[in-house]
Amino acid sequence: MIGTIRLLAGISLAFACGAATTANAQLAIHKDLTLPIALTMAQTAAEMCTGQGYKVSVHVVGRDAEVLVAMRGDGANPHTMENSLRKAITSRMQRRPSGEFATAVKDNPTAGGLHLANQIPAQGALPIKVGDDVIGAIGVSGSPGGDKDEACAKAGIDKVADQLK
Amino acid sequence: MFKVAYRMAGLSLVSALACGVATTANAQLLVHKDLSLAMAATMATTAIATCKGQGYNVSVNVLGREGQVILGLRNELAGAATMENSMKKAYTARTFRRPSGEFANSVKGNATAGALFLTNIVAAQGALPIKVGDDVIGAIGVSGAPGGDKDEACAKAGIDKVSADLK
Repeated sequence: MIGTIRLLAGISLAFACGAATTANAQLAIHKDLTLPIALTMAQTAAEMCTGQGYKVSVHVVGRDAEVLVAMRGDGANPHTMENSLRKAITSRMQRRPSGEFATAVKDNPTAGGLHLANQIPAQGALPIKVGDDVIGAIGVSGSPGGDKDEACAKAGIDKVADQLK
Repeated sequence: MFKVAYRMAGLSLVSALACGVATTANAQLLVHKDLSLAMAATMATTAIATCKGQGYNVSVNVLGREGQVILGLRNELAGAATMENSMKKAYTARTFRRPSGEFANSVKGNATAGALFLTNIVAAQGALPIKVGDDVIGAIGVSGAPGGDKDEACAKAGIDKVSADLK
């Protein structure tokens, strides 16, 4: 008898879960970057910086921080590949410019975010957005100053702004 | 006293020889030709377009002399593993200085070949070394086509596109 009640309770619970299924009846609809758009962004950012005499590397990551484009600039210092990737991942994960994270942790060197994989408090990456939805990020490294890296990242995003909708 | 003298003489001789010979032999720096990003980009986009034209969505990696990634392109329409696979194929082609498919064939009868246990080595066709004469300056790897031979054909198209500049 008790077993039956338990069974019934279990079935009720199953129905409750059924309700949850109904609430999620529609799949999430995502807009994601294509390789051509990502490549245009990366090349534009790289050209913007090299045009100013800065040897930079560029990364574009997608919604899940997966690498879409990894681009090592001619003569760029070796660490710029890692740095541009980590800036981009930081920007994607935190949905904000990596420079804002850098500023935010200045007075808090034990911030948890500093200890997550691939996060770095360094300016030079911007989130790529469709409206408020962050669908990726672009990171640049190699300029003499994160502000200059960020300006090149912005040029990359601006180039494809009309496609980010 | 003799011992000390011998030792000193020996030391002088050794250091003189070592320094003298080494200095002379290494008087000139090595001169390398290396890939530019522009050439790597042309190769990679050509490889992707070639495969696309055949209905295959592929990811591509172009590596340089030290096996470093110069350009990695993830095709959002290709399988998730293709980014890693194209990089590893290219690394295999670069480090063994031959098509990754040749390496794959060479280990077919030897599943415990030591090389298979090295980092970033994969026994799969689809990557070719990039050469200037006999000097391997990098490699291009492709992944995503239904068959390593088809990946390799697209890699070859990428190299052929810039072959006039590989000198």
